[in-house]
Amino acid sequence: MKTGDSYIFRAVGSFLFFVINVFAVYLLLRGHNLPGGGFIGGLGSALSLIMLSLAFGVREAQKVLRVDPTRLAAIGLLLAVVTGMLPLVVGEPFLRHFHWKLEELPLLGTLEVGTPLIFDIGIFLVVVGVTAKMIFVLFRSISGLTALNPSEWRRYAADLEEPVEREHSRSSSELETEDEP
Amino acid sequence: MKDLVFALPILLPLLTAIVALLAGRRRWRRWLIGLSATAQLGVALVLAHGAYGQPPQVLGLGGWAAPYGIVLVIDLLAAIMLALGALTALAAILFGYAELPPEDENPLRLPLIQFLVTGINLAFCTADLFNLFVAFEVMLIASYALLTLEADDWDIKQAFPYLALNLVGSTLFLVAAGLTYGMFGSLNFAQIAERADALAGTPQLTLLALLFLTVFGMKAGVFPLFYWLPNSYPILPSPVAALYAGMLTKVGVYVLLRIFGQVLPPDLSLPHLLMAWLAAATMIFGVLGAVSRNFIRGILSFHILSQIGYMVLAIGLFTPYALAAAIFYIIHHIVVKSTLFLVGGTVVVLNRTDDLEKTGRLWLATPVLGVIFLLQALSLAGIPPLSGFWGKYMIIVEGLRQQEWVLVFCALLAGVLTLFSMLKIWNGAFWAAAAKEGVHTEERRWRPMAAVAGGMTVISLGIGFGAEFFLGVAHEAARQLLDRPAYIEFLLRGGG
Repeated sequence: MKTGDSYIFRAVGSFLFFVINVFAVYLLLRGHNLPGGGFIGGLGSALSLIMLSLAFGVREAQKVLRVDPTRLAAIGLLLAVVTGMLPLVVGEPFLRHFHWKLEELPLLGTLEVGTPLIFDIGIFLVVVGVTAKMIFVLFRSISGLTALNPSEWRRYAADLEEPVEREHSRSSSELETEDEP
Repeated sequence: MKDLVFALPILLPLLTAIVALLAGRRRWRRWLIGLSATAQLGVALVLAHGAYGQPPQVLGLGGWAAPYGIVLVIDLLAAIMLALGALTALAAILFGYAELPPEDENPLRLPLIQFLVTGINLAFCTADLFNLFVAFEVMLIASYALLTLEADDWDIKQAFPYLALNLVGSTLFLVAAGLTYGMFGSLNFAQIAERADALAGTPQLTLLALLFLTVFGMKAGVFPLFYWLPNSYPILPSPVAALYAGMLTKVGVYVLLRIFGQVLPPDLSLPHLLMAWLAAATMIFGVLGAVSRNFIRGILSFHILSQIGYMVLAIGLFTPYALAAAIFYIIHHIVVKSTLFLVGGTVVVLNRTDDLEKTGRLWLATPVLGVIFLLQALSLAGIPPLSGFWGKYMIIVEGLRQQEWVLVFCALLAGVLTLFSMLKIWNGAFWAAAAKEGVHTEERRWRPMAAVAGGMTVISLGIGFGAEFFLGVAHEAARQLLDRPAYIEFLLRGGG
């Protein structure tokens, strides 16, 4: 598939990328007591990655994300689970959350903070990671690339394995080779 | 402290999975996961010990009490299932270590197994219908990934019915959960149980019961919705296949036990009758499928269905004695079935294939493996005094008591045909002379693999010879399950 050949789309896309992500973070922070939260925020952020993949091609989008999406999801999950487990240390049930009201802060005024936010950030990362992983694989397959890039291949494939695309075509010429990022 | 222990069956595999995922392919990862799997087994045994003769343990997540928050409930039945799951997972993991060196194993396999165990354990512990749905989804998504992780094109085609039918099943589950909420205004098991009594005998409740039967029957692999199972299991790597064969369908059976035994009122004669007859059909069609197959894992996969038939038949007969029989049968079946898959995996290493036309000579090369297989195969067929006999005996006694002659005949016929198909494997793999490639006993790895299978066989022999103890446990679990007033009272008013 040819992507990234529209100048207008690229120009608007690189600007919209920030707008969408700001909105995603807004949804994340707004969550818990109002509609929003980690899940929907994460989906918003993942949406921006889809747009980048369409505008600039999947490799650019992967460079923007920088980290391995699988790891991102794992770190998010770890954050969420550890937040859920912390109350166990002080003898409270699993997933119990705490809130504090901070008053008269400079600039911000009264602020209500609580552990659900950390939990939600974890969920946000899980959603971004998992969605990014899925869309990258799909975009790579229609761009004639292997599903995993070389660094992921090193991490998530056994030594004996061969990319399923190559196994299928038996000629690596159809696949573009890819250098290390 | 109490909260921590009861959350451990879910937290331990979940944390292990995350750490293993982040560790990539380091060598110490195997030690970590092995230790964690052992610890999970220990925790489950402690929980089972604590649950015997005691009221169930309730854990309200987030500190919310029962009807409003989601609660995890660990009674004896759940604890038994947790222990069996942990045992099977440990055996599968150790077998995998013996089968492949760390660099040849897909680095995602072990984390995914732990995610699968997380989902299975959550399904055993939860007392909330929607949370059960979540547990099923965690389990199914991990299982989709494991199924296709090391698959090639042909394998993926075989895996497709698994995906498609389970998606349909999940959708129906959601419909059933919505219907339940509409009827009872709650998804908590105890509250549904309390309010369902008022609706006993009405067509709505029968309809809901039939919907549950369809959904969980599909997960358990009950006729006619078992098509997803027999073709997809043989494409799995042998240790993962052993875990799937041991646990996944049994989660469906467990939920059938939980829903029909505890949540829905006991006087649902139509769904129970239907369940018993579907179970008989499952037994017969499953075992006929097994007879028709010509490779070990294919035969064993169809046998899962046939054996599911016995358990579901016991639930369909629906007396305290029959439910105890079903629980005992689950205990026996999980151990035996996963061992047979491990033996199948060892045969693949020794003969390079498990096609019965090409295997052979194993009895001469490795009598030990032959003895392991023979013990487990005869146990599966129900030869006394092995563990399979007691479960079958109880189910048939209950069938005779209720004068269900045709059902009893089906159960006996399935037993004979099981023996026949097991002899087919015995003849093809152990007794026949014609091994095309010869037996590769020079491969050192078959010994630890057979040792894992042998360990499981010892446990299975223990279940057979210590049947009195295990029957006592099964009767106690069935008693707790059927004591609905106490469950409702404890969960909604006295709990935790």
